[in-house]
Formats: sequence, C-alpha cells, structure tokens
Amino acid sequence: MNPFEKIFNYQIISRLEESGTIAITSHERTWLKTMLAHPAARHAFSEETLTKLQGILAQVEPYDLSGGFVEKAKSQEKQIYHPLLRKFRGILVRKQGMYITYQNRNGKTHLEQRGFPYKLEYSMVKREWYLLWYHFRIKSFMSTRLQHVFSVREHPVSSQVAQETIAIIETSLEMRKEQAVIEVVPAYNQELTRILYAFSCFEKEVEYLDQADTYRIKLFYLEDDREYILSKIRFLGTRIRVIEGKKLQLRMYESAQKALLRYGISMRSPETSE
Amino acid sequence: MAKESFDKEIQFLRMLLLTSGAFSRKQFAERLGISVHTFDKTARRLKDILLSIKKEQAHQDSLELNQFTRFNYYETSEPLLLFLFRAKSLKESESYRLSVLLSAMQEQALSATELLEVCNRLFPSEIVLPDEKTIRSDLKYLEEVGVITREPGGRPIRYRLHNEIITQLTDEELLDLYDYVDVMANTQVPSVQGYMLRDNLKKMVKQLHPAPVFTERFLYKYHFHSRILDEAHLYTLFQAIHQKRKISFDYFTPRSGTKYAAQNTNPLFEKKSTGRKEHVLPLKVIYDHQYGRWYLLAHKHGKGMVKYRLEGITQITEEDVVSVDVFMQQQEQLAESIRYSWLIDTGRPLKVKVRFFNPDGYQPNFVKERVSLQGQWGVITEESDDSFIYEIMVNGITEIKPWLRSFGSSCEVLEPAFLRRDMIKEWKEILSYYESVRENL
Repeated sequence: MNPFEKIFNYQIISRLEESGTIAITSHERTWLKTMLAHPAARHAFSEETLTKLQGILAQVEPYDLSGGFVEKAKSQEKQIYHPLLRKFRGILVRKQGMYITYQNRNGKTHLEQRGFPYKLEYSMVKREWYLLWYHFRIKSFMSTRLQHVFSVREHPVSSQVAQETIAIIETSLEMRKEQAVIEVVPAYNQELTRILYAFSCFEKEVEYLDQADTYRIKLFYLEDDREYILSKIRFLGTRIRVIEGKKLQLRMYESAQKALLRYGISMRSPETSE
Repeated sequence: MAKESFDKEIQFLRMLLLTSGAFSRKQFAERLGISVHTFDKTARRLKDILLSIKKEQAHQDSLELNQFTRFNYYETSEPLLLFLFRAKSLKESESYRLSVLLSAMQEQALSATELLEVCNRLFPSEIVLPDEKTIRSDLKYLEEVGVITREPGGRPIRYRLHNEIITQLTDEELLDLYDYVDVMANTQVPSVQGYMLRDNLKKMVKQLHPAPVFTERFLYKYHFHSRILDEAHLYTLFQAIHQKRKISFDYFTPRSGTKYAAQNTNPLFEKKSTGRKEHVLPLKVIYDHQYGRWYLLAHKHGKGMVKYRLEGITQITEEDVVSVDVFMQQQEQLAESIRYSWLIDTGRPLKVKVRFFNPDGYQPNFVKERVSLQGQWGVITEESDDSFIYEIMVNGITEIKPWLRSFGSSCEVLEPAFLRRDMIKEWKEILSYYESVRENL
C-alpha cells in the first residue's frame, strides 16, 4: 500500500472537488474496516448502521498489524468515542442552547443548568472527552468531562444569542492566553529534536541565537494548560530552563524545593526562610 | 525513471513544523543537507500543493509556509501535514483525464468505449485526447486502487465508482461515519488513510450541510501533528516484515546535524551523502506516545538488535527474503528483550519502586489517576491515606525517569538507590536554574 498513490494527487483532488466527485480507495476502506473492529464503534453507530457498514465492507481484509507493530507509553484508553458525542452534534450543528445536569470536579451535582455548548474536546493525554460550554447564570466558560454529564436536552436560543455567546467564549479564550520562553541548555543541543517534539502539540515560535548557539522556544498556551506544560518541563528536567514566564519559573522553583524535601533535603537559604 | 521519493519533502516539513521560524533559508537548507536553490524549489512546490487544496486561503497572497504551521487550535482540527501525501507528481493531462473519467463514472456505469466518447465531448482543444488503450490502462489502475468496480453483467465491461460507503448511507448515518472517522484518525495510529477518508467524507457532509452550518465540532488537545510524516515509510516496512524481507536504507541519526542528503542525480547540486548505509532485517515498528515518534527495531548482521528512528530513514530498498525459522527466532528474541521496555530500552531489567503522594485536601486524586492511566504494566502495591507505592520491572531507568520526574514533588523514588541519587542531583540542578528568580521577588 503506497500512501503516495497518484489518485491522492492534489490536482486530481481539487478537480474532483469542483465536479463534486468522491473517489474512495481500497486503502481507506481497509483502514475503516480495521477501525470498525474497535469496541468504540458500538458507541458511534446504531446497530443497524454498523451492520450496514460491515455488510458494505464484507469483502475487505483489515490490516494485520499483529507481530509487526506495537505502541509504547500509551495511556490506558478509558474512552474513545463517548455516546453523548452524537447527542451534542445535533445541538452544535444547529447552534442551540441546552439544559445540562452535570457533576463538577468536586463531585457536586448541578441540575438543569442553562448553557451553550461550544466544542467537544478530546485530551490525548487523559484519553477522555470534555464539553467546552458557556454557563449562562454564572456567566462563565466551562470545561466538563463528558463522563460527568448526566443529561442534556436542547433548549432553543436565537441566532443572535448564539452569535453573542460564541463571541464571549472566544474573547474569554483570548484572555486566558499565556506565553513563556523556554531555553534549551546548550549542552543539550544534540537533544533538540526530542525537546521540540515534546512541545510540538503547542503553538510556538522557535528562535535560534546564532552567536550563542542557543535555541529558544516561545510557547503560547491557555492558562488551563499550565499544569500540563509544567509536567512537560519537569519531564525534560535539566535539559531546559524557563527564561520568561514568572508563574512557571516560580512553580518550578517550588517543585524542585518540595521534591528535595521528600528526600529529606532542605535547600532553603536563610534569607528566604520564614 | 527512479521511483519518486518524498524523503526531502518529509524532512522539510518536519523541520518546518518543529523549528517554526528559527532558521534563515540558508541555515534551513544547510541543516537539511540541500542547496538554497533546492530549498526554494521545495518550498514553492509544497506551497503550490497547499494552495490548490486549501482554496479558501488561495486569495491570501501572503500565505507563507511557516505561517500555516502556526495553527489556530480552536478554529480547526484539520491534519496540518496531510497535504504531503498529495505530493505525487502527475502530468497535467493525466490528472485532467483521470478526474474526467471518475466524474463520468459517478453519474453512471460506463465502458471504456463510452468513456472515450465522454473524453471526446469534454476535453478542451489544448489537452491531448487519449486513445482507448490509455483509457483501458487508466481503468486498470483505478480498479487496482479500488476507486472503481465492475458492474455485474456481460461484455462490454462497465465500471462505476466504488463508493457505497457514501451512497448507501442516509444523511444521518453519513454524519455518524464522519464523526467516527474523525475521532479514530485523530486518536489511533496509523491514520493517514483515515485522514484521506475524512477528507472525502467531509466533502460529502459539506454538500449536505453547506457552510456556515458545517462546523468542526471536535478538538484534539495535545495532539502530535508530525506523527503522520513517518507513516510515509510505514507500509514499506510492514510489508517487508510481513514478507520476512531484508531492507537497506540511508540512515541519518537524529543527533547528526543533517537530515537528508540530495540524490546525486543533478551534478549541479551534488552533495556528499552523509547518511550511513544500513542493511537489516526489520522486525518491529514501535510508536512512542510520549513524544509522538516512530522507531524501527531490526536485526543487523554482526550487531544483533539495532534501533532506528523512522525519521532518520531515507531511500529504503527491498532485499532478500530470509527463512521463516530465522525470522521467527529473531522476532521471539526481540519480543523477549522489549517485554520490559518503557519505550525501546533493551537494557537489563530492574525493579523500580516509587512512593507517590496524594494531593492535599479534598481535591480529586489526580496523581493516582495519572499513575493508573500512564503507568503501563506497573502495579500499586501498598496504599495509605496520603500516599501509595508503585512498583514496576523495567529495562533500565533512562526511559522511565522523565515520567517519574514529571510528577515533581508528588513522587519519591525508593529503589534502586542510584536512581534515587540521580533524582536528588537533578532536582538540585533544576533548583539552581530558578534560584535567581526567587531572589528577585
């Protein structure tokens, strides 16, 4: 199977798009057949649809990756396709509001709250789905695990309200943006690609200081991602140093200090101790 | 003509995505091991492809390649680098002809002769008309890649598009399928073919729900966009493993400065190849979720087991087949030696014992949650109110150490003693990085 088939060529694709033609290859059917064997398929389709798809693909041989392929350091896959995704799809497509009953992170249940769903977000790290939404009464942007959503029903809002709410959400996302600069300690320049890979899931700019042979990575992220960024920085250890971003720097300082205390080592200098 | 290779484009895009804006043209070209001229040519070509696919952006003259890698997370979950797989070069006349044929067969099943008539009718004068032989060979190709299928019945053979997974579904079912494909392509590997299918289904869904109704609903947080680049070599490797076939390739170790070497086909841009020629028996491909990177584990004569990063492998050629016995023996040895690899380390297995501390107060126990999610085959052996003990047999400490360190002060290494000492030393060093920050407050 060659992923560079001429049928995938960009000129063909763009011409087919103009004429509204859709050409599906056996590569794609093989992939789909393989994926339909995944238990997640049961949550994504009605039984009737799944049977229909399996019938259409009856002649297709799925991939046999046993023996030749293995995944490592994979998080346990708690959840891939959540049954509520289908329910939310309709509400999102129609840009409507909702009444939602959910549990917050401390386990408290909130009944029938009026809200507006924005997007559904899957965390590749936590391997689960979150609903991003706006809570009308408390006027705030929320992120709730789908696992903690007990019920949802559509509640109509005017297109004006929908538009305004989306604008509010987007402004609030914009306001939550933070940035930091991380420097690769030059002694570890050889490990540059590893370090860049670790940050490749974030919006970033890389600067190379020719004279000093030093790389600097400017990261742009939402404040909600700060904890994850910190865990990445600790993950990379002595290879990198946060050179801009007070909050991250302080947290790294505290982290190192507290970690050493676990080993019975107190590094507080006299003038900073209370 | 030699088989078209996309190694240069792959290395180019990888570097573009990873180092976004760090280098000047000259520096970039130097690191890739190509001339500035080749750099410009490659950049132009990739930009052309990108523009012809993303028509909505075509009017933005200012679209630069390095801008597209600055993605806007909340706007789209499009696979950034999929367009690489659209890069196969094709003559204008061939791409025109194939798309005319496919569009005609979407309407109804047609024979080669009937398709020839369609071409006669539709082709503009500046494009050379195909003869029947060309059409027959096109049909053969299209049938091979599975986009068309024969209609039952006698001669002449009629062909139609093989797209029942679209035509036989209701609108609602099609949306279900689109969502499922979107989710699976983004969360599972391999995924290039899934993204191709997603592209196709998206076109269909857009026809049903024209903009602005169609919106991307799903986002994937902490997603490694570059992981699909290495899928370019995946099927060649899977096939070689399946056939128990040796391969050879030019290998560029990721630590060497250069990522690629131009083929010496054009003496003007001749460069000395700095890659290392490798002859091996491929045994296993490994995907590492921690960094989103791929590895090949192989047996090399006289060296035993060798590990390669897929991103350093270029110019793969297939060689001889080995016997089933030899292959099975190597595979079993390999399976045994990576049994306790956190990633790919095949060093001596040892027991790592760690105390994790639960978060203070009434917070949910995110430490334990993360340990059970990411701790692979390790087990929790003891628990108390404020902490728990985690134990794992693992090959060497190098690969597990970063993970343990990422927990910060929620983790105390108990065994082995040298890992405990290492950890203390590293925390001291990290503390020294930030002491001045503390003092300035």
